[in-house]
Amino acid sequence: MSECRHRQDDAVDITPIAWFARMIPHCLDYAVTAKTRGRPVVGMMCEYTPRELIMAAGGVPVCLCGGSAKTVEAAERDLPNNLCPLIKSTYGYHVLKSNPFLEMADLIVSETTCDGKKKMCELMAQTRPMHVLALPQRPDDADARESWYHELVKLKATLEERFNVVITDDALRVSSRVMNRERALRREIAGLMKSDCPPLTGRQVLQLKSSIAGLSADFAQYERVIEQAGSGCACAASKVRVLLTGVPLPNGAERVLDLIEEHDGLVVCQENCTGLRPLIDDVDLDHPDPLRAIADKYYHLPCSVMMQNTRRMDLLRQLAAEYHAECIVELVWQACITYDVEAYFVRKLAEEELRIPYLRIQTDYSPADSARIAVRIQALFETVQGRKVAS
Amino acid sequence: MSFSAGIDAGSRTIKVVLLQAGEVIARGIADQGIAQEAEIERLFLRVLGEAGVEREAVRTVATGYARNLVRGAEKTYTEITCHARGVARLAPGARTIIEIGGQDSKLLWLEPNGLVRDFAMNDRCAAGSGRFLETVAARLSVPLPEMGALAARSTSPAVINSTCVVFAETEIIGLLADGASPADVAAGIQGSLARRVSVLAGGQVVPPVYFTGGVALVPGMDTALAEAFGCPVAVAPDPQFTGALGAALLASELGRC
Repeated sequence: MSECRHRQDDAVDITPIAWFARMIPHCLDYAVTAKTRGRPVVGMMCEYTPRELIMAAGGVPVCLCGGSAKTVEAAERDLPNNLCPLIKSTYGYHVLKSNPFLEMADLIVSETTCDGKKKMCELMAQTRPMHVLALPQRPDDADARESWYHELVKLKATLEERFNVVITDDALRVSSRVMNRERALRREIAGLMKSDCPPLTGRQVLQLKSSIAGLSADFAQYERVIEQAGSGCACAASKVRVLLTGVPLPNGAERVLDLIEEHDGLVVCQENCTGLRPLIDDVDLDHPDPLRAIADKYYHLPCSVMMQNTRRMDLLRQLAAEYHAECIVELVWQACITYDVEAYFVRKLAEEELRIPYLRIQTDYSPADSARIAVRIQALFETVQGRKVAS
Repeated sequence: MSFSAGIDAGSRTIKVVLLQAGEVIARGIADQGIAQEAEIERLFLRVLGEAGVEREAVRTVATGYARNLVRGAEKTYTEITCHARGVARLAPGARTIIEIGGQDSKLLWLEPNGLVRDFAMNDRCAAGSGRFLETVAARLSVPLPEMGALAARSTSPAVINSTCVVFAETEIIGLLADGASPADVAAGIQGSLARRVSVLAGGQVVPPVYFTGGVALVPGMDTALAEAFGCPVAVAPDPQFTGALGAALLASELGRC
């Protein structure tokens, strides 16, 4: 264990963190104002949906993924108990009409990232306008790329028709530039955690994002974090460096990350859809066909729904090295079959190739098992520390 | 400082092991109660009194689910690390540990040097725990220590599939109503618990395998586990105390690095 180089109060100014703590009210203000001015609000459920297209249509893309346990019970009126909490929470908001963004949405774009979500969207589509992007699930097939491009052509047509606009190449280039800028800023913030003495906690990194991407007020705050980070340290030198992978942690569903950081762990890297995964690739701004450039960027997302998802293993390999991960914790939402099964390969990668301990945590949004998860996390860290002492 | 203590504050019982220069000089066990903090303190003072050791002279590590309630513990460790340390001391070379306690069961894989390589826990329900056996013993009106002898008289162990204590109890009531003998039910329950624990292994058992935790004291459970795991399973020496012993050994190393 090395001595921390900095004092705690040198850490990043709290202001950008406080700004993003009020992220939902900010987004709500923004969406209400935009809507009043005639801009459509478009809900989305996953990182495969290109915000660039929605923005180029003049729309406001808003993430609708539910992270609250409170709406699950309402969802279970229609949905089976044994379904992922993310789907149930999202659907619960639909039943209760309690997510203002969903209530404001002029269109919802969903994706075929899992069977549960597909069927849930069928129920939701009974009363709400819905467009579903069909993902090719074998990304290495010769025709998969073309098929995905045509899905985006169809989404473009839906947006143009529904909102009576023409999405120009120039508009796509502008929105791609904005989103590239956002990705670059958030990548840089995530990259601060590569340090031996990281200036932020994993929870803070997770919080530094917004349900509505591309807002200039947020960009200013991202820049402040980066400016201030050089001098800071979250006094983490003695903590166990964790690479968190698996399912996304929507707003409100941060429990497992918190348990890790409350028990002497530091989540230095998040390989998931609320973390680095969607930030890795940018849209090629020099491509002659901006829609193709957008399709190419999103096509490479290594979601567990993809067959022979070797891109995710490559990414984990790269991130574990760059972020000096001492262990991998994989979070799997209950009944998320694709992540649950793919965990086999992640464990193999961790134990046989990276030679670092691996822990898979399967849970839902209810806090009932927090104490038991904490025991498993602590035992993992004791093993990491034990190995350090032994070597 | 040559005295060190390990306190294993479990869900059903509290265990204390006191070491002097790394050797056990006293130990004690008591039932867990409602006033857990006071129960732990009382047992610890009793063990110290029996050994004639001043509390101030002892470095203490706590483990078990109530480890954060132990007064004066300098550090806490999970049961996983402590059982591994305890078993590695008593049975050097152990590679797999089955630990069945009051409210959960665990499987630990050790490196040849005794460090924990990996572990799995059944922490979602009580069907793989001592609580399961207690419930069944009460239903069969036999004291828990006699359940093994009862099961040994079985001629045709009952098939019990329920993965939940409450449903298993319902299933047992049904079996008894259908005329199954208590011996067959007891044997069926031991097999069911053993299979539930063996699922944790996912087919990965590295011999030698040691069995520890309070349930290791129940006669017949070791053979039921050996059958479910398909390899010999040895009851660890002093199985109820391996966690406290491991904690005491960790306490004796405090401040060394």
